[in-house]
Amino acid sequence: MGTLDKKVALITGSGDGMGRSHAMLMAERGADIAVCDIDGDKARETAELVRERGRRASVHVIDMADTDAVTTMVADASKALGRIDILVNNAGFGQRATVDEISEDDFDRMFNVHVRGSFFCTQAVVPAMKEARYGKIINISSIWGMAGAPVASHYCSAKSALLGFAKAWAKEFAPWNIHVNAVAPGGVRSGGPVKLDNLDILRAKEEKVPLKRYCEPIEMSYAVAFLASPEADFVTGQVLSPNGGETIVGY
Amino acid sequence: MTKDPNSLEGRVAWITGSGRGMGSAHAKLMAERGADIVVHDVLEDEAKETAEAIQAMGRKVLLSTADIRDAAAMRDLVKEVEAKLGPVDILVNNAGIGEHAEIEEITPEKYQRMFDIHVRGSFFCGQAVIPGMKERKYGRIVNISSIWGMNGHHTASHYCAAKTAVLGLTKAWAKELAPWNILVNAVCPGGVLTEMPIRVQGMEKIREKEKKVPLGRWAAPEEISYAVVYFAAPTGDFVTGQAISPNGGETIVGF
Repeated sequence: MGTLDKKVALITGSGDGMGRSHAMLMAERGADIAVCDIDGDKARETAELVRERGRRASVHVIDMADTDAVTTMVADASKALGRIDILVNNAGFGQRATVDEISEDDFDRMFNVHVRGSFFCTQAVVPAMKEARYGKIINISSIWGMAGAPVASHYCSAKSALLGFAKAWAKEFAPWNIHVNAVAPGGVRSGGPVKLDNLDILRAKEEKVPLKRYCEPIEMSYAVAFLASPEADFVTGQVLSPNGGETIVGY
Repeated sequence: MTKDPNSLEGRVAWITGSGRGMGSAHAKLMAERGADIVVHDVLEDEAKETAEAIQAMGRKVLLSTADIRDAAAMRDLVKEVEAKLGPVDILVNNAGIGEHAEIEEITPEKYQRMFDIHVRGSFFCGQAVIPGMKERKYGRIVNISSIWGMNGHHTASHYCAAKTAVLGLTKAWAKELAPWNILVNAVCPGGVLTEMPIRVQGMEKIREKEKKVPLGRWAAPEEISYAVVYFAAPTGDFVTGQAISPNGGETIVGF
């Protein structure tokens, strides 16, 4: 079954929310986890949850927009846990804003964390993956990156860029047996949306989803863990969107 | 730890075209994960082989050789399954045929057979299980399309279009059936090393084709089954209307 035994997974933004859920599930399936987050306390909490599951964890307090720090983090994580087999480019944040409200700083921060951060983190892990002729990279995009939304166009477009990376890297890295895919979550009951919306607004949104609900973070982790496992060894350049039927596009 | 989200324990899965090839692989993997299986194939000897393999795993099997083009027979089969194994929880619309033919060679008979088996067959197998799934507010339907259904091909346009129609069915059913917690998804295999292409094309030609796949190889049938089971198991409980294509990077399209 989709075991991750003896693998090392680096999951950015795994202090909280979906990232933490990915870390816990992957640890349950046998992986050691490099926990990275801008919030050190939360990162340490996740690391403890990984250890409770009998796996090793390292903690990295990191701003993904800081390219030098990202490169150093990958070196530190490899030193602590061994070669990174799995990278989940998950770190991100939401910001509700219409076009006129998005300042240059807002725009840069959005793209630096999601896009630039993922790019340079990947650049740092890939040489060892190439050498090992094995690697799994999962970019966390969003339903909004596939279909857009009436707000947060900087977020939507950054998430689309992560799909672009997934497709291009799938082709570029295939000769080294490195598989690159994306997960595009629909509505998830994680901290982010609960903070941005109150529960009444969330309930109203759930009504518009064909399955009439948002999902728990673990349901997103199942998709990530599937793509990270040997069960997906023939899957690359693809996008999987657990979204309750909310968005059904493309092929 | 919570209940294993990969488990199909207690489920009944009907896999059309499960006598050999990918269908047989799906049936065996689902049995391994705890499901009882309806092995359904017009090829009787092959169906028996799959059925025996599954019985050897300790799962229950019902064997049918009914023609998938006979909608009334499909309704009867569902009743028989309910009586003998229990209600159908999972339907894998896998039965299909391949046929290399250019447009001039596709006669009305060939055309009709292609669409009857893939599209009409999938539709009425679905129609046969859906009333019960609605009643129980639970159902998982996985339609097997193809990389050629996403992308086309320079031959076999009747096959390509039938496989695209299967994707259309997937998306529409996902929306229509969501209120009853019936989830509908598609798997679009790329190159797979089953008996059919090995027999039709020969390994030499396949080795040439493998060179054009970014990962440099075709898949083993089980590698497609993993995607099918991801959708069918609780791992896919929030996934509907989606398609996943294990294709070694050969086709990367859409979102």
